[in-house]
Amino acid sequence: MATPPGLYAIRIKGRLGATALSAFPAMVCELEDSETVLTGWIEDRSALFGVLEQIEALGLELIELRQIPARPTSRESDEGRPPRSL
Amino acid sequence: MTSSLATPRGGHPQQLNPGDVSVARGLLGRENLLEMLDRAVTKRITVISAPPGSGKTSLLRAWADRETHLRRIAFISVLREQQHAPRFWGCVLDAMRNPLGSNRPDGQPAATVALDDDTVFDRVLSQVAGQIEPSVLIIDDLHELKSADALAQLEQLLAILPSPARVVLSSRRDPPIRLHQLRLADEFAEIRAGDLRFSERETRALLAASEISLSEAGVGALYERTEGWAAGLRLAVISLSGHPDAERFVAEFSGTDRAIGEYLMAEMLERQPVEVQSMLLRTSLVDRMNGELADLLAGRAGSEQMLLELEEANAFVVSLDPQRTWFRYHQLLVDFLRLELRRTSADEVPALHRRAARWFAERGDVLEAVRHTLAAGDWPDAARLVADHSFRWVLDGQAGTIRAVLEAFPEGASADHPDLALAHAAAELNEGRLEEAAAQLALAESHLPSAPPARRRRLAVAIASLRLGLARRSGQFSDVIEQVNLLDASIADESSEPIAMGSELRGIALLNLGIVETWSGRLADAERHLSEGAALAQTIGRPYLEVACRAHQGFPSKLVSVATARERGRQAVALAERHGLDDRPILAPALGAVGGMAIWMGEFDEGERWLRRAWEVASTHADPAAAVLLHVATGMLHAGRGQYQSALGEYAAAAQAQGLLTGVHALAPRITGWLATMQARVGMLDDARATLDGFSTHTGRMGAIYNARAVICMADGDAAAALEVLREALDVTPTAGPAFTLVETHLLAGMSHLQLGDRDAAAAEAEAALGSAEPDRLIFPFAMTEAAELLDALPRHATAHRALLAEIVDLLRGASAPDAERERLSQPEELSRSELRVLRYLPTNLTRPEIAQELYVSINTVNTHIRNIYSKLGARDRSSAVQRARELRLLSTGRS
Repeated sequence: MATPPGLYAIRIKGRLGATALSAFPAMVCELEDSETVLTGWIEDRSALFGVLEQIEALGLELIELRQIPARPTSRESDEGRPPRSL
Repeated sequence: MTSSLATPRGGHPQQLNPGDVSVARGLLGRENLLEMLDRAVTKRITVISAPPGSGKTSLLRAWADRETHLRRIAFISVLREQQHAPRFWGCVLDAMRNPLGSNRPDGQPAATVALDDDTVFDRVLSQVAGQIEPSVLIIDDLHELKSADALAQLEQLLAILPSPARVVLSSRRDPPIRLHQLRLADEFAEIRAGDLRFSERETRALLAASEISLSEAGVGALYERTEGWAAGLRLAVISLSGHPDAERFVAEFSGTDRAIGEYLMAEMLERQPVEVQSMLLRTSLVDRMNGELADLLAGRAGSEQMLLELEEANAFVVSLDPQRTWFRYHQLLVDFLRLELRRTSADEVPALHRRAARWFAERGDVLEAVRHTLAAGDWPDAARLVADHSFRWVLDGQAGTIRAVLEAFPEGASADHPDLALAHAAAELNEGRLEEAAAQLALAESHLPSAPPARRRRLAVAIASLRLGLARRSGQFSDVIEQVNLLDASIADESSEPIAMGSELRGIALLNLGIVETWSGRLADAERHLSEGAALAQTIGRPYLEVACRAHQGFPSKLVSVATARERGRQAVALAERHGLDDRPILAPALGAVGGMAIWMGEFDEGERWLRRAWEVASTHADPAAAVLLHVATGMLHAGRGQYQSALGEYAAAAQAQGLLTGVHALAPRITGWLATMQARVGMLDDARATLDGFSTHTGRMGAIYNARAVICMADGDAAAALEVLREALDVTPTAGPAFTLVETHLLAGMSHLQLGDRDAAAAEAEAALGSAEPDRLIFPFAMTEAAELLDALPRHATAHRALLAEIVDLLRGASAPDAERERLSQPEELSRSELRVLRYLPTNLTRPEIAQELYVSINTVNTHIRNIYSKLGARDRSSAVQRARELRLLSTGRS
């Protein structure tokens, strides 16, 4: 069935510079040693493959794609809800 | 500065034509890879699948360059985001017709390949299937092909490859086509990223070739960090060339944990002089550019020189033509530059798009102009561009372009823009989706009241014009009389009231008007409009429009003789051939008309050839009214050759096609008349009567119906009644214009007289028939009515039309023998005793009534016997019956 909308974490080899990052405006970036993790809300399957295509086009190396399970919304936690502004 | 490469439609080149480009320029010739590809291409299909920057294109170009004197190489790069199957196949066809190394004079592009329809793929298929010399089709950037149709068709193509042909597919990803079968049959070779990677040795060689000196450790580090990735190495080389401290560069590079592609591209960009950087960024907007466009975008002169130098330096810039006037960037670089541009100078971007749009519009590349206008966010402008050019595209026979352009707009955009709805309507119409077209037209119409007055008139004319086009396609003629009148008035108005209709729109209006009028039998009006349309087409240089108009002028009328009509039809076809348009459905009426005229003149073989062409061209795309014409003409062919069953089938098909039209087809009475006649001839008298009864009376042109009635009477044996009917026929048949039905009328009258024994009256009618037939050489009716016997009654010396008579007699004799062979049963049926008795009188010159007297039977009996004799012997007239009888030894005395 269709990729459910949700939070995804995409791990890419190498740290991305400002230019490459600007290709993923809807994602938040975390730089970890020699990898970049892009986290963001992805609407559906088309959106997901759009992101993947962008990664391919920039000659980047995809290491991992992971869906982050939505935690039950609680007062303390903001996770599981789409990021507000990007 | 104009490009020396004349590009199609004023746009940029559709495909790469590498030639002498990259290899000479210091790119490492990787011999082992070339050999690998050599080995791969011994299999039918080779797939190169590797990420961007792996060196696929460079390898292919180097290989093709080498190979081109051994094999025909067709090389295409799929355009970005290619969603339009016909366009893709058009490029393939073009590449196949103009293989690498073939010289085009002045760099002219090949003859216009219609982007119109699915026939493009069929043409590719037949071209491929017909390959006898070794050839290779290389399709680069296959991942850009986003059309599911095209991919399915590609699978088809791969399945039918003949043995001398090879295909190489190159893509970033494994292509979504089923290769399993090929793998099993060992018909398939693969080259993957791992195969393309540089080895350390090759890395060293690359550096050496670029005159970069690096320590062993440095080389090792470079190799390790890039992992042999071609693009990485090339980018590094660019940065290293002339670098003051190569070792440090490599050290930093291997030390960084940055994603290397981006890092190296940023490095490369940074090392360029400021003007070059600026140019690179600003020109990244367009897919391909020449010096002029680059200057325009960069806002300064000298871009061409910069591009040439970048290409020399292998800086991911490639020229697309042997003259090196058009360029593009490597995909990796383009995407990077676009991001960088947006990041650093976002506010400039819309203006740049607009500048590009204007430039493309001026050069007539509307597709690109629209894309850039949309990219700038100027929706209404983009919509207007599309609308303004839609008619031009239709006239160029490039209606498929409309679809391609509309795809650039988001869905539902046409709801707000009547212009877009019009363009959609034109596209749907072109693709034969009539209901959708009607819906879009309704949508456009709904905007009419709110349109600004300046554009309202033009919009109304455009809508009316498309409605006529719709009527033409659907055959719903009766619905459009209003539209016809509106258009007619508007066109006439042009001189007094400037509507600024534009020549293209006017041309289309005239064409559609003329066609509808032709099929409705309003030939005088049609003549006027089509002539004007053809003349206009010549003035504005629109061959497709001219062909379309002329193709419908090949019909005879009061003003146009059969000979003239035939000549016109021939000219229309010649015109089409000259412009490479002779396989378009629009030509079907001309081909059918010329064929029909040939048949009227008794030239059956000639007619058959034309009709065969007409059917090929028409296939499924012809207007229904044109299909009616083709069925009738084919029916005539069969009838003239005595193949009554086949003729019956065709006339029935014509009647059926006719039934799909609303409004009366001009040929309706004749179709009905001939259908009934054929039915009578094969003995289906009740059906024949029913056919005639089902025909509602119209004034004029009823001659064909009367003739049919007469045939039925004669089949009933009632020649006197037939004569009555025929007399009435003479009253209603017009005297001016070609004598199609008149000849038949006279012939039938003559045969009736013959049956009644009045040879003199019969001869007179025969003479009258010849007289009517002579001006236009209407020989067909003689064949159709089996007038040989009648003509025998006419003494040779008593006719003023000796030559014509002789010709007809020859035709009938020549036609009858072979046809009799075909229709003959293998074993002639036994003749009854009474029939044998009648048969014995046939060799004499006794008339039928005389024979009846001899035998003491009624004339009807004799007629019946003779009919049976003919049928059993497979004869069509008295003399062939006699001949056959002699062969079968039925005439020897002794039997009684």
